[in-house]
Amino acid sequence: MKSRSDLSQMARIEVVVSGADAPAVREIFKATGATGFTSVSGVSGLGHGGYHQGRLLFNDQATLEMLITVVPAEKVDALVAGLRPLLDESSGVMFLSDTFVSRPDYFT
Amino acid sequence: MSTAVETREPVTGTDAGPARTRLLTDVRLAGGVLAQAWPIETFIAVNPLGGFEDLPFDQAVSRAGEVLGARGTLDESLFRRAHEEGRINSEELLAATRRRVPAAVAADPVLIGGQPVAADELILSDLLNGEPAPAPVRAERMLSELLSPGIAAEVDAQAAKWTSAFLDGGQAGWTMPGREDGFHAAWRDLAARDRTVPKAVRESLRQIPERSDDTALWALERLGIETVDQRAYVRAHLTRMPGWAAHVRWRGEHGSAIDLVSWVAMRLAYEAGLLEDELGRSSGWSTEFQAAGTGSAPAVAPDLRAARVAAEVAPASEPSASELAGISSLLEQLPVSERGLVWLDAYETHYRNRLLHNLESASAGPAERPAAQIVCCIDARSEGLRRHFEKTGPYETLGFAGFFAVAISYQSLAGGAPDSLCPVLLEPSNQITEIPAGGAEALAERQLAGQRALAGAEDSFHSAEADLATPFVLAETTGWAAGPLAAAKTLFAGSYGSTRARFTRSAAPPAPTVMTVEQAFTFEERTMFAEVALTMMGLTGPFGRLVILSGHGSTTENNPYEAALDCGACGGNRGAPNARTAAAILNGREVREHLVGKGIEIPDDTWFVAAEHDTAVDTVTVLDRHLIPESHVEELSHVERDLVTAGSALSAERSRLLPGARSGLSPADAARHVRGRSTDWAQVFPEWGLAGNAAFIVGPRSMTRGVDLGRRTFLHSYEAAIDTGGEALETILTAPMVVAQWINCQYYFSTVDPVNFGAGSKTVHNVVGGVGVLAGHGGDLQLGLPWQSVADGNRLIHEPMRLLTLVQAPLERIDMLIERNTVLQELFGNGWVALAARGSADEQWMRHTHHGWKAWNDQEEAK
Repeated sequence: MKSRSDLSQMARIEVVVSGADAPAVREIFKATGATGFTSVSGVSGLGHGGYHQGRLLFNDQATLEMLITVVPAEKVDALVAGLRPLLDESSGVMFLSDTFVSRPDYFT
Repeated sequence: MSTAVETREPVTGTDAGPARTRLLTDVRLAGGVLAQAWPIETFIAVNPLGGFEDLPFDQAVSRAGEVLGARGTLDESLFRRAHEEGRINSEELLAATRRRVPAAVAADPVLIGGQPVAADELILSDLLNGEPAPAPVRAERMLSELLSPGIAAEVDAQAAKWTSAFLDGGQAGWTMPGREDGFHAAWRDLAARDRTVPKAVRESLRQIPERSDDTALWALERLGIETVDQRAYVRAHLTRMPGWAAHVRWRGEHGSAIDLVSWVAMRLAYEAGLLEDELGRSSGWSTEFQAAGTGSAPAVAPDLRAARVAAEVAPASEPSASELAGISSLLEQLPVSERGLVWLDAYETHYRNRLLHNLESASAGPAERPAAQIVCCIDARSEGLRRHFEKTGPYETLGFAGFFAVAISYQSLAGGAPDSLCPVLLEPSNQITEIPAGGAEALAERQLAGQRALAGAEDSFHSAEADLATPFVLAETTGWAAGPLAAAKTLFAGSYGSTRARFTRSAAPPAPTVMTVEQAFTFEERTMFAEVALTMMGLTGPFGRLVILSGHGSTTENNPYEAALDCGACGGNRGAPNARTAAAILNGREVREHLVGKGIEIPDDTWFVAAEHDTAVDTVTVLDRHLIPESHVEELSHVERDLVTAGSALSAERSRLLPGARSGLSPADAARHVRGRSTDWAQVFPEWGLAGNAAFIVGPRSMTRGVDLGRRTFLHSYEAAIDTGGEALETILTAPMVVAQWINCQYYFSTVDPVNFGAGSKTVHNVVGGVGVLAGHGGDLQLGLPWQSVADGNRLIHEPMRLLTLVQAPLERIDMLIERNTVLQELFGNGWVALAARGSADEQWMRHTHHGWKAWNDQEEAK
């Protein structure tokens, strides 16, 4: 197993928003040059607004979606500049953390 | 006006810097005030204020007034007319006032000429006779609107010109060069050489950057708009032409080479260039811009308001200044801008009380196995068909979303781009193709050859019309026939339509086809669909020998809004392919065997039949006849005969409201009349669609059977007893009800403000291919429904009321579903939809309020 010193430090951003806002988040990811993202639709959980139902059978827009991307640190400011005003206007949340990857070329 | 200054950092490279991503988000958020707008051929009814649904309805319409300059309730003069006509009575009006401003109604009497006058009398007088509420005014305005309105008009004209040129669906003889490079690149290249703008402006346009976001930032900088104000400023541009802006947003979200950023960048660049040319560079420009909510809204002077009421209530008296101040103080508790909400409450209450009263006379359906069952779409128009059909025999009818729970992408035998046949809340999950039935390949080829020949002839005729040289030849060769043909289409629309249909059938005789159900759906998907669909509608037995699944569509001529009359649950398309797909799945032997294990036993002699209800002519056409077992043919013919009887009765009922229809038509004459309307190319009222829609009822048919609901209610079948976990009800409330609410809001706002939310009169519409309609030859794209969808001249056909949802299910189950679904919290909690429920038929109706469930009859309770 590699030690952490063999890994490259990156920034990891996780965003949870309604399905209706998810395209805006993906657009910001794309605009900042993120090379990819992971999305999990129909996530459920408990937040300050109470419990949120997971997948709905016939409505993709009203459920929550989690989107995760990993970018080099220099792209974080641009990501946050786009995401913050979006989240100020919606019920979504954002988590920013350091992360370590073994294949940095995948993310730059 | 903000005083904070944020500096935009220089932007370089291909990845977005913070200024670019901030702009991207600001433009998106600014666009949130726009209505969703699909191209007109798949017209989808939506809530034009969908971007405000997180706000209480009252606040949303107030905010829309500021941002869009739009009215959120019916003009008071129309409410007052409704009062004069008895549609609203004074008791209902006072009760609504009491719910909104209880302290004002209960206040001490006020003196006029020394005589005490009751507070409620004064408030009622103000509602009935007070100074009219001023129309809302759009508060956020572009600098050019404030400094030089001619420039604002020029910006609009340029925007309309380049947008329609770029989005032209192949109708124009001239194609915009460089379209393949995207809107910004194509416009940038041409605009700098466009001699319709002054030379100095062309010089300015030559400086614009390559990227659209950089162009927007560059222009905002030149206009002196600070970063903190840029969202509001972009919004001012978008709300200046909300029709084009909304359509461009849709394009951008669906992979087009035009999006809101590039569109608004163009507008900003023109504005900056034109202002600089006319006024010179001025650092003072930005101080002119004011975000919405920071200015003062138009208002009625309090003194004037009080004097008007005093004159009405005590005409012989001369009120003193202090008495007028007392009246004014009382009236201010109900601001003029909120009177419309009181009227709306009373208007809705009147209808809703009568609806619940009428439901008391509902009766149960057949106790034994029904002769047949028909499942119709929840669409309000189905209610009329179901009611009349039930009168013809021991039939059972049910309501279910018209896409029948199969979210499909459908390609017909003729090929072409597939249609998404599902609510726009969903992406299609399965690709269904129509293919020739076994042994019918040659017939299918003949049908296709006939269709190609007909389409080719039509294309050639229209191409010749558009070509520079051929119109003269065309007139020589076909003019002798075209004139009489046009006369026949106008004067004998019914005969012309049936003749043309016969000719089409003869030239391209329909071949038997099937749907690729087994290829498109896995066995697990088919069994899941079957269980979900049957459980959601409460159809778990007894099953008739025939169960008809009827999709719907509307056949009209020369009607750009045809899709608005088709099935909303099928994405504004006809629902026949969904009905055929669902029937094929439910007739599958293996699927039925699986359902037995789920407690749903479909008898071997039950056959699901696909059909389509044409709402323009009230007919139900059976589909896939070649699949129907011989053992069921005779019974089906009886059912079809009864459907014809029901359809004719429905035509007679509908004809009473159709402009131009003779009064007192017999069912047979009415059936002929609606057939004629359907094929009349000059008819602007082919049918009334969903005009009048006002309620969504979820429960067994025994709640409504035998009651004339006037084609105003969406009916979704539901049996609480077989949905103990609430999953079916959750699906009904979060999908079909949401679609119903969109439709309800589309009709509501198109009626209360036809200028801002409606499409104006059909008689001046010009179609922009693949996009929408213009009123006249230019200007903004028209959104919403045309006036002829909601009114006949000055007579409103649609009564604009918010949706009332009635559910028969345990209240605690409904509470649980609201608690875990934000969409329901917003719709019910913010007053977009009213909710009432009862646990069973024996219990009283309870109203959902912010303070829990309250008895419906407790009208004093705040909502």
